[in-house]
Amino acid sequence: MADTINLFVNGVEVEVEAGKNLIDAIGAVGIEIPHLCYHPALGADGNCRMCLVGIEDGRPPLVPACKTPAQAGMKVLLDAAHIKKIQRDVMELELINHPTDCPICDQAGECKLQDYYMTYGRPESRMTVPQVQKSKKLDFGCGVVHDQERCVTCGRCVRFCREITKTGELGIINRTDAARVNIFPGRPLNNRYALNVVDLCPVGAMTSRDFRFKQRVWFLKKAPGICHGCAKGCNITIEHNREKYQDDLIYRFRPRLNLQVNGYFMCDAGRLSYRQENEGRLLEARLNSQIRPLEDVLAAYNQEIERAEKIAILLSPNCSLEQMVAVKALATKLQASLSGFSAGYIQQGDGDGFLIEDDKSANRAGLTLLGIDCTQEHFEKAVQETQLLINFNNDLSRSYAEHELKKLLKDTKVIFATSHDDSLATMADIAIPVAASSEYAGSLINCNNILQTFTGAVSKNHKPADIGELAAKLGSPLQNRAEQFAELRIYLSVLKDFEADTVPAEGLNLNDSEAANVTA
Amino acid sequence: MSDRSQLISTGKPFQYDQERDAEFERLIKRYPTRESMILPSLWLIQEQEGWISQEAIAYVADRIGTFASKVYEAVTFYTMYQLHPMGRHHICVCRTLSCWLRGKQEIIDYLKDEIGIIPGQIDEDGRFSLEEVECLGHCGTAPVVQVNGEFHEDMNVDKLKALLATLK
Repeated sequence: MADTINLFVNGVEVEVEAGKNLIDAIGAVGIEIPHLCYHPALGADGNCRMCLVGIEDGRPPLVPACKTPAQAGMKVLLDAAHIKKIQRDVMELELINHPTDCPICDQAGECKLQDYYMTYGRPESRMTVPQVQKSKKLDFGCGVVHDQERCVTCGRCVRFCREITKTGELGIINRTDAARVNIFPGRPLNNRYALNVVDLCPVGAMTSRDFRFKQRVWFLKKAPGICHGCAKGCNITIEHNREKYQDDLIYRFRPRLNLQVNGYFMCDAGRLSYRQENEGRLLEARLNSQIRPLEDVLAAYNQEIERAEKIAILLSPNCSLEQMVAVKALATKLQASLSGFSAGYIQQGDGDGFLIEDDKSANRAGLTLLGIDCTQEHFEKAVQETQLLINFNNDLSRSYAEHELKKLLKDTKVIFATSHDDSLATMADIAIPVAASSEYAGSLINCNNILQTFTGAVSKNHKPADIGELAAKLGSPLQNRAEQFAELRIYLSVLKDFEADTVPAEGLNLNDSEAANVTA
Repeated sequence: MSDRSQLISTGKPFQYDQERDAEFERLIKRYPTRESMILPSLWLIQEQEGWISQEAIAYVADRIGTFASKVYEAVTFYTMYQLHPMGRHHICVCRTLSCWLRGKQEIIDYLKDEIGIIPGQIDEDGRFSLEEVECLGHCGTAPVVQVNGEFHEDMNVDKLKALLATLK
């Protein structure tokens, strides 16, 4: 716990963290100071004037809370009549030229302007002159659509592009009531984090072309998840909904605050990777390209296991630690050679040192931790020596061209436990559907050696088993997640203090623990 | 305030002429950061071309090494920068208090009714363009008219007639 100080809010003493501004310090103990332009990642700008508060120590009557550091003994005044009048007046000012098109606005339901209007005043419009008209549905590039009329010119998007991505595509053009956010003609948004401006926008001015008009936000169910798009493991909120008579679908990923991993943001590719969870899924088990009940397919699997003298098992680097130990136990039982070969998941030079990593797999560190051989030689040798390959959701088409793969596997029967109905599933002799990453709970170790857990968010109609459950069905001695987690303690002694559901939300930094031996 | 966000593209790349190029290099040494050069470099464009095009804004942004959006902000913030072609002679009439009280409207009306130019526009043969501007700082000798940057004080319609006759 950081140092704390005591100060007074409306005469009541509260204990807050030292070294923060008033919005963050007082906000952390549950007292809201309304603000539009301030964002902890972008710093205080002080332009919106919504956070004006009184400090009873002889300074000017009102100061912006975002620019005022919390100090011991400070007497902060939030509920005086003159402060409430300011908040009401700012709301009235912001709404003079606001189109108030909430019924067709995607932000409705999570809009600061709506919330503050209801909380701080509900001013009636006194305007008798026509509203200033500006441009709507401007295409800013990177899937960002802008509505200048809804904008409150807080400048968060402008500051994000200048301070975080350092690409500076956006600016506030003109002055006074003609001011508006725009791109320079011919130089649209062109960075890999552009969609964060949609989250940053406190109102509905920035919308995502991908999400526009798809779903009202109050229908979305939110669950904490981890992005599986690359080795960074950005924390996300999975926002999904099952519409009547439909399947449970994800509508968007949004970044979730974790200062140890991704901060407030995530990359656009990761954000849009939710589509893969929805689309192209393998729904039913297949035996020699024929759809068959899972029991029949498992019976065929058992015959194959009996018949094969030697078996090779391949794991995906996206599997959770629990799935990996379950499959490893299965491999030991079947005396199979286990590989984690997945060179194709690495896109050399694609990382940017911020939130995008070269390695497009979520848990390669897990493979290393469990001592699973990931070399190409080992994998190819194992395949050549055996007649049966059980592949747990490893997308080999990333590592091999189609003709190479056909050549490699021409004398090998392939059992493919897969979340997606891709070309590999078509080639496989047995294809068994498994859950995608948003549908099961598990743990991952990211590129910075931070162990994080996530829970299952989505519940599909076809209810695919996750790889851990499937491994148990196929004969793995580890029957459930608790047993798998217990097995993990052999490799990570730091886990002795935790259960699967008590790992801290911000993750366990394995670099801090002496048991860390992951990056061997 | 009107919207100034619509830039005009010439379709041709912009470049400083030799004289302005040298001036740019001379001025940039004065400032602690290259970004401080945004306003002076816009003046140089206006001096050279009479107005500031989209290409010219992109040119100075790249030359200074700053975001085009920042130069775009500055050029639309300050009304002294002209974002469309001007007449051969650009007339600014002050419209702030002193000039207003001492008859700037008669001057505007004369220009509109007799010469046929409206504030914010160019006349048909491209000879004059007219703009109403905020205080030019010559309140003691109001009303004041600025033609091509030169001040003409204590103006009235007769003096304006004589002045316009000298401008071809």
